[in-house]
Amino acid sequence: MRLSEVQKYFKDTMLDHPKVLDTPPEDFAELFNVGDIPLPERLKVYRNNIIGSLTDVMIASHPLLEKLVGHEFLELMARSFVLENPPTHGCLNMYGAGFDKFIESYELAKALPYLADMAKLEIAMNEAYHAPEDEPLKANELATASPEDLQLKLRQNVQLVSSRYPLDKIRNFCIEDDPDKTMSVDSGGVKMMIYRPELDSVIVKLEDGEYEMLLALNQGVGLNEAVETTLNAHKGFGFQEFLQRHIELETFLALKTNT
Amino acid sequence: MSVHLKQNEPKPNPFPPASPPRDPVGIGLRHPYYEEVTNSPPNVGWLEVHPENYFGGGAHRHFLSKAREKYQLSLHAVGLSLGSTDPVSEEHLRQFKELIDIYQPFNVSDHASWSASGNAHLNDLLPLPYTKESLDTLCRNVERTQEYFGRTMLVENPSTYVAFAENEMSEHEFMNRLSEKTGCGILLDINNIFVQSHNHGLDPFEYIDGIDSSKVGEMHLAGHIEQEVGDGIILIDTHSRPVKKDVWDLYEHAVRRLGSVPTLIEWDQDFPPLSKLVEEANKARDIMNRILNKDITNAAE
Repeated sequence: MRLSEVQKYFKDTMLDHPKVLDTPPEDFAELFNVGDIPLPERLKVYRNNIIGSLTDVMIASHPLLEKLVGHEFLELMARSFVLENPPTHGCLNMYGAGFDKFIESYELAKALPYLADMAKLEIAMNEAYHAPEDEPLKANELATASPEDLQLKLRQNVQLVSSRYPLDKIRNFCIEDDPDKTMSVDSGGVKMMIYRPELDSVIVKLEDGEYEMLLALNQGVGLNEAVETTLNAHKGFGFQEFLQRHIELETFLALKTNT
Repeated sequence: MSVHLKQNEPKPNPFPPASPPRDPVGIGLRHPYYEEVTNSPPNVGWLEVHPENYFGGGAHRHFLSKAREKYQLSLHAVGLSLGSTDPVSEEHLRQFKELIDIYQPFNVSDHASWSASGNAHLNDLLPLPYTKESLDTLCRNVERTQEYFGRTMLVENPSTYVAFAENEMSEHEFMNRLSEKTGCGILLDINNIFVQSHNHGLDPFEYIDGIDSSKVGEMHLAGHIEQEVGDGIILIDTHSRPVKKDVWDLYEHAVRRLGSVPTLIEWDQDFPPLSKLVEEANKARDIMNRILNKDITNAAE
């Protein structure tokens, strides 16, 4: 068997149903010399390393889900996700994108409809944490820009999340971790920005208009058009206030680096 | 397109070029130790990190930069998948090279194993048959990596749990040939030698005696676990325990043969207090001092 075929066969076997390892196909078993330790036990070390380490990566990046559903249930979901969605490259910092979509269609989680959005929040926090460094737009640089050429871009660490569930309150509920407390998940949705002003990811709650405006800028819509669209949908939107607030928060990319 | 944009970004000033660490014993810098290592630097000669944890940038780099101000670094990769028949990922090389340019490590390394096949990267160091075809594949990828980096690298012997029926040579012979053909150095993981020798019924001392001593640029020490299976015991390389007595004995043998080679204490799960890693590092240093009959931390002066 060619090396490329051996590697493909090995990979497929690792991602197959665990029972396959108990009685590996004959042509697979023939690849190995076994000695006194049976082949299934040898292969299981690899499988446990692969699936276990990737599941651990998923668990580590979803501490809120762990609080909400417990370690065992999260582990079960994460293992299923890992088997269906192995990483595609050798850097795992951003591994787990798509876990929210996976949870949406995960039968056992159907009773907890807010779970997928909580995963979305945690993915956003992880992506903000690992995003590259860049320079924020400061007031003095903005003052020197000509208004007609002004184009605002969001920094690479800025993530936008919208949900019909109060993700911020659910998050606080998880952090407080008070077994006597209950909360309603139907108290209205939330829009927010997750970003990394210094070393850790931070959540900022957004008004509807503010969210729409940031979303439009993030999609590359021109400044004038973004303001117009936002104003049409949200009469109370004030661009000057928006600009001042997000210069202070350091949401935008420095103009000198954003061309 | 984003690649071109990135190349135009101003790069942070690099650290001064590396020199071999005066104290040859180092420890792995991992997330739980960031604050302590950067605030009260322990008495070890150098630090090792997995470059993949710092790809793209992000908050981790803040701690790496602080650590690099006080220590020499060894960048020890786990994601190049040098043994894959697929070529090495150009994006992985680019991100790795960016870190090399900034942090100026004294060693860069990865493993004689594979992780990627097709579109899946399995995040484990998977075994190669020790054949000419594997050797050619590995050589091709190591040569590409060294050419991209503009420097030689070290390649580490992995822990293995299966041995291939079609093996044409021993693992140490495979490592020697790889080094001979590509000019790469050998990163000799003493615990991996012990683990794989036990699992395949081989003699670990013979392995050390057979390795080309002029090529070894770094040694690794770590803990493993023993798992009962049927009538036998399989050893699993977990990096979650202190180094076992048998592995220290093997290390003594390696020091006798190889001299004062930079040695790393690895710990990657079930993290103990940092002081435990430093204790293990002290043990390695004491062994080198005793075997070589000199104070190795002053040897470079």
